[in-house]
Amino acid sequence: MTSSATPVSRRPAPEQAGPRTAPAPRGGGPARVSRRRRARTGWFFASPALLTITAVTVFPVLFSLLLSFADVRLEYGGFRILSLTGDHYAAVLSSPEWRQALFFTFGFTAVTVLLELVLGTAAALVLERLGAARGWVLAVLLLPWALINVVAAQLWGYLYNGTYGGLTWLFQQILGHQPDILGQPASAMGAMVVVDVWKTTPFVAIVVLAGLMLIPGDVYEAAEIDGAGTWTTFWKVTLPQLRPIMAIAVLFRILQAFGIFDLPFVLTQGGPGTATESLAILGYKTLFQNLAIGRGAAVATTTAVIVISCCLLFLRVFKTQADEGGRA
Amino acid sequence: MALSRRTLLASGLAAGAGLTSGCAGKPLDTLLTQAAQVPRTPATLTWWVSEIPSRNGPVVADLIIRAFERRHPHIHVRKSNALSTTDSNRAAVTTQLAGASPTPDVYLGDTTWPAQFGANSLALPLQKLLPEDFWTGYPAALRRVSEYRGAVYALPFFTDSAFLYYRKDLLAKHGRPVPRTWEELLRTARTIQRAGDAPYGFLWQGSVSESLTCNVAEFLADAEAPVLDGEGRVALNGPGAERAFAMMREFTETGVTPSTVATYVEADSQDAFTGGRGVFLRNWSYAWGNAADRAVSKVAGRVGVAPRPGFDGGGPRGVSCAGGWSNFVNPNSSHLGAAVAFARFCAGEEAQMILLKNAGVIPALEDVLTRPEARAVGDPTLTGVRELHLVARPVQTPYYPQVSKALYTRANAVIGGRATPVQALRAARADIRTALEGKAL
Repeated sequence: MTSSATPVSRRPAPEQAGPRTAPAPRGGGPARVSRRRRARTGWFFASPALLTITAVTVFPVLFSLLLSFADVRLEYGGFRILSLTGDHYAAVLSSPEWRQALFFTFGFTAVTVLLELVLGTAAALVLERLGAARGWVLAVLLLPWALINVVAAQLWGYLYNGTYGGLTWLFQQILGHQPDILGQPASAMGAMVVVDVWKTTPFVAIVVLAGLMLIPGDVYEAAEIDGAGTWTTFWKVTLPQLRPIMAIAVLFRILQAFGIFDLPFVLTQGGPGTATESLAILGYKTLFQNLAIGRGAAVATTTAVIVISCCLLFLRVFKTQADEGGRA
Repeated sequence: MALSRRTLLASGLAAGAGLTSGCAGKPLDTLLTQAAQVPRTPATLTWWVSEIPSRNGPVVADLIIRAFERRHPHIHVRKSNALSTTDSNRAAVTTQLAGASPTPDVYLGDTTWPAQFGANSLALPLQKLLPEDFWTGYPAALRRVSEYRGAVYALPFFTDSAFLYYRKDLLAKHGRPVPRTWEELLRTARTIQRAGDAPYGFLWQGSVSESLTCNVAEFLADAEAPVLDGEGRVALNGPGAERAFAMMREFTETGVTPSTVATYVEADSQDAFTGGRGVFLRNWSYAWGNAADRAVSKVAGRVGVAPRPGFDGGGPRGVSCAGGWSNFVNPNSSHLGAAVAFARFCAGEEAQMILLKNAGVIPALEDVLTRPEARAVGDPTLTGVRELHLVARPVQTPYYPQVSKALYTRANAVIGGRATPVQALRAARADIRTALEGKAL
């Protein structure tokens, strides 16, 4: 950044220490210099990363925000923003499609996150007790999570297929008639929850397992001396200790589940009717199929606002609980 | 040095606004002047093309490209592989086009796209570049769907027509003729199903996608019930429309069509049929190639093709949705003249003959279907297509995707037994009205 090529550390301090400068360490002046310069060098080295983040994250987000308020017209040679408007939000928030998508996305998120947390914790508790076999079991368990979402969805799509699907056949043997798994709203939603739980429980399990391994052994010893049974130990010792890490897992899952796109896209295309049309699918259809750019951006923005609010709310509730837990 | 959130927000918005103003607004006349001349200088075109079903093995798109390059040695055409379903294809190509990308120069698109693409300046209006008698060689329904507000946005390439495929052996075994009405088809299918000769009677496409809209449009046309009236307002009312919706429900209710049809796209229904599970199949003309191919079809040699039936008591028979694919020219192409030349070549006789001989699709140029070569190919859909009664979907609105969604979502509920035909029609009418006003999402 500076044009001078003089070695930094040999030079006396030309700049004066500002009032906000922290107390200098021993050796005074030169250290203060290098502090300023170091900050500048720091910015210099960080600038490529900052520019990249701005280009790939900040700019698209802000641009999408702009589009959601814009009356956009596509023209030969590109597009033009004619005026700014709030109409898109009015149209989105008042539309039955959006309400339906919100309902599905919320339900899907709540059910899958809850199931994955319970099953993942259970799996982690089992894994923790496994000795030498843990590595192998973990590897097998992680397989679904390692699969690319679309591939996993396609795989389950074959299982659910109404004509030759393995699960369809199995249900037919048990029920005596051919079930229409993806063709009816309730079973289609259920089928989608199953795939997501199958795929993402390992993620929760591994996060919780990491948390379990961090709990110091002496707390358990203390609990044992106090005469706590297995259940009491789990509820009063393990779970409170796991809370922070579980919160992280849940937060991650809420973020992912709320943006669910690939499962409904591959399995049902949002059907039957619009029963499994998530907010992400609705946004995709609005933007890329209907070319309603402003409205599509408004769907995306409202989704982002809702998921961020949910996460903040969750963190607040969690923090309150953790504080209470600390006092108890 | 720290960037406050506000600064960041403001500068981002400013940058966005700056980027968008000034990049648009090329005058159409300039573009058309460029498009009117085939350049003498070398040019490379990109052609966005999905896989064209092949009859004999060679890649059909390559044959056409080679033929074009022989005529125009200085123009080179490169293939860009498009996706297979029309909806995902549209999403992919519009992303590029709306961003003013100069590639692809020419793209193969669905016949339902012209109004939407024309209204959004994603395709070049071509009518001024065409001779007056250009359309005389192509089906009238194809011309209707390619035009929007008097402008032509797509040049014909090939058509998809819907047929009724049936199991010759099963009909012969039970002494039944090929059904001429839906009521007759129901009876025949049930007889064969009860005898245990096939688990399913009639297979078609009922998933929430454009596939179902095609089926709905055909059933409605069978019952002579229009979706829109003469002034472009929603019609979709009365006994005809109810009859069409009620028939779709009757198929699934009686088990002649499996209830899983509610999730079927073309490939699912075709797989079930070629796997020997069904008596009848509604599918596009290209399905003949697969049904007759011993490598993929268990029922090869036992399949017949007929026009779709109609309803009892008169009305049209052999109705088919006017489906198919046409070439569009990207208005941002840097080689407009070459692009138009290529799109026109694809619609012309030489390319159409290549399609006739090598592709499992129906060439758009009707004249080539009467040639001796057409009969020599031995594909009954090629010779049968002229008897069909082609109907256009209500595509002449930039809001067609929303109209289509209204139709397929509501019809899907009828098929699954979640709504009565009357309820579904009422809901679909409301949805389509909202869509036509531009108020649907």
